[in-house]
Amino acid sequence: MRAVRLLLFVLGAAATAYGGWLLLPQLGTALPWLIGGPALHDALVAPLVGLVGLALGRLVTDRRRRAWIAAGLLASATLLLIAVPLLWRPPSAPPNPGLPDRDYPLGLAVGLAVVWAAIAIVLVVATAVDRRVTHRRSDSR
Amino acid sequence: MIRRARIPAPEDFTASSHSPLVAARLGLWLGVAFGLCFGTGLLSHYIQHPPGWFSWPTRPVNLYRITQGVHVLSGVAAIPLLLAKLWSVYPRLFVRPPVRQPIRLSAHALERISVLVLVCAAFFELVTGLFNVAQSYPWGFFFPTAHYAVAWLVAGAVLLHVAVKLPVARAALKTPLRRNAPVAAMTPGSDDSVERRAFLRTSAGVAGIAVLATAGVTVPWLRRVSPLAWRSAAGPQGVPINRTAAAARIVVPPHWRLEIVWPGGRRTVSLPELAALPPRTAHLPIACVEGWSASAHWTGVPVVQLLRWAGAPTGRPVRFTSLETEGLYAASTLPAAHASDPLTLLALRINGEQLSPDHGYPCRLIAPSRPGVLQTKWVARLEVWR
Ligand code: HEM
Repeated sequence: MRAVRLLLFVLGAAATAYGGWLLLPQLGTALPWLIGGPALHDALVAPLVGLVGLALGRLVTDRRRRAWIAAGLLASATLLLIAVPLLWRPPSAPPNPGLPDRDYPLGLAVGLAVVWAAIAIVLVVATAVDRRVTHRRSDSR
Repeated sequence: MIRRARIPAPEDFTASSHSPLVAARLGLWLGVAFGLCFGTGLLSHYIQHPPGWFSWPTRPVNLYRITQGVHVLSGVAAIPLLLAKLWSVYPRLFVRPPVRQPIRLSAHALERISVLVLVCAAFFELVTGLFNVAQSYPWGFFFPTAHYAVAWLVAGAVLLHVAVKLPVARAALKTPLRRNAPVAAMTPGSDDSVERRAFLRTSAGVAGIAVLATAGVTVPWLRRVSPLAWRSAAGPQGVPINRTAAAARIVVPPHWRLEIVWPGGRRTVSLPELAALPPRTAHLPIACVEGWSASAHWTGVPVVQLLRWAGAPTGRPVRFTSLETEGLYAASTLPAAHASDPLTLLALRINGEQLSPDHGYPCRLIAPSRPGVLQTKWVARLEVWR
């Protein structure tokens, strides 16, 4: 394992140095976009996710339901992130009328609707199954 | 209970997803996703800037379409995986540095720096890639070179990260997530293993949803399924257009003639003469670096036949120059393998119609297994290299 780790260190340091050297001419303009991701995530996104998780824990006590709702929230957040560059187009995009050729707000709305419809179905089915199980248990008593 | 606000410590995070068992598995998946991105990205870079030792096959004709589709889709899959991984290891942001032990402190600082580089670079690649496929460039740097440079940063930083974490990761990956039944029965109540598996399953599922939501840009049977595919496969004459004739400021001269030059010879050919040469129709994709692709039936003269007809040598690289006078893609060099392939056409027609100005009238290059940006439109000149 020592040898493997040493090799990884050497290769990793070399590749990192090469990337840094390649980036050097553009480092000034790229730096805000490098720092931006982790800064936003660590200071804003992660605490927000934590708070939403805490709130969800209070509101939904059943663990299975909570897991499904959390999955829906994660899927929605991912779809929203993917849609950002499609919905928010600063004017620096090249002036070409043929480029954005789909209805992105509609696409996002459809995607979110499908995700939540699927989760609603799962929750309804789970509730029905639970009820039947409790019925059967009380019958057999 | 009132607690004073303070910076949290790793022990304050009690959710079961904050565990090396989860972090190592997500790390492995992320490693696969970024590995695919790096490999296919490197290929795309070499196809566009080939070093001497590099050669790229012409078959299957969809090869570049597949590698570049894998590139953008594994990047899309990495978005939820990266967020899940960072959530899993978020408590470690608050690990207190060992301030009193200088040697351990410097090791800690080095590790922190390498992790910072890793996370910065990983975010950078995903964010800039996503904006690029939407053809949106809200920054000051030149995207292709910056994205390429930072790809090396990610690759290097992942290797360093794995070197540091290897013992933890190996132990974590060897520990099964599912607790065996006797142990579970002895400690009922809160079962971390259930929640950990749920967290991992959700992460993988959301990565799948993200891929499904976008894969329609290049996977034909998903065209109607993917709501967030950034491009449709439709367009004038059945194929989307990235650069219009107006954007490229193309003016086709009234007596346009194609110029063919080679060491020691030169010949020109008019459009009617080109149209009179034996045509060939090929079903080939336009496969864009941005991951979208669309196939069409192209009709024209095989480049190798044209060269033979002109009396030029074959089996050599050929430089195609456009009527476009400026811009990065005003010219491209066709490697010898592609120039000799009978499916490489100087196309005059698309899907049975004459090429429209936006598709490259009077003629365009279309070759198998190449990025769309290298399929030069509005061709004015062919130069056979020695
Ligand atoms: C782009 C890819 C990756 C990113 C962005 C990433 C990010 C991170 C970050 C930010 C941490 C916390 C650092 C710390 O402990 O202070 C971490 C921890 C960790 N990573 Fe990764 N990682 C990646 C790939 C991998 C790979 C390929 C593996 C190997 C299987 C891996 C295994 C681990 C392990 C075992 C930990 C420690 C978790 C703990 O101690 O709680 N990661 N990762």
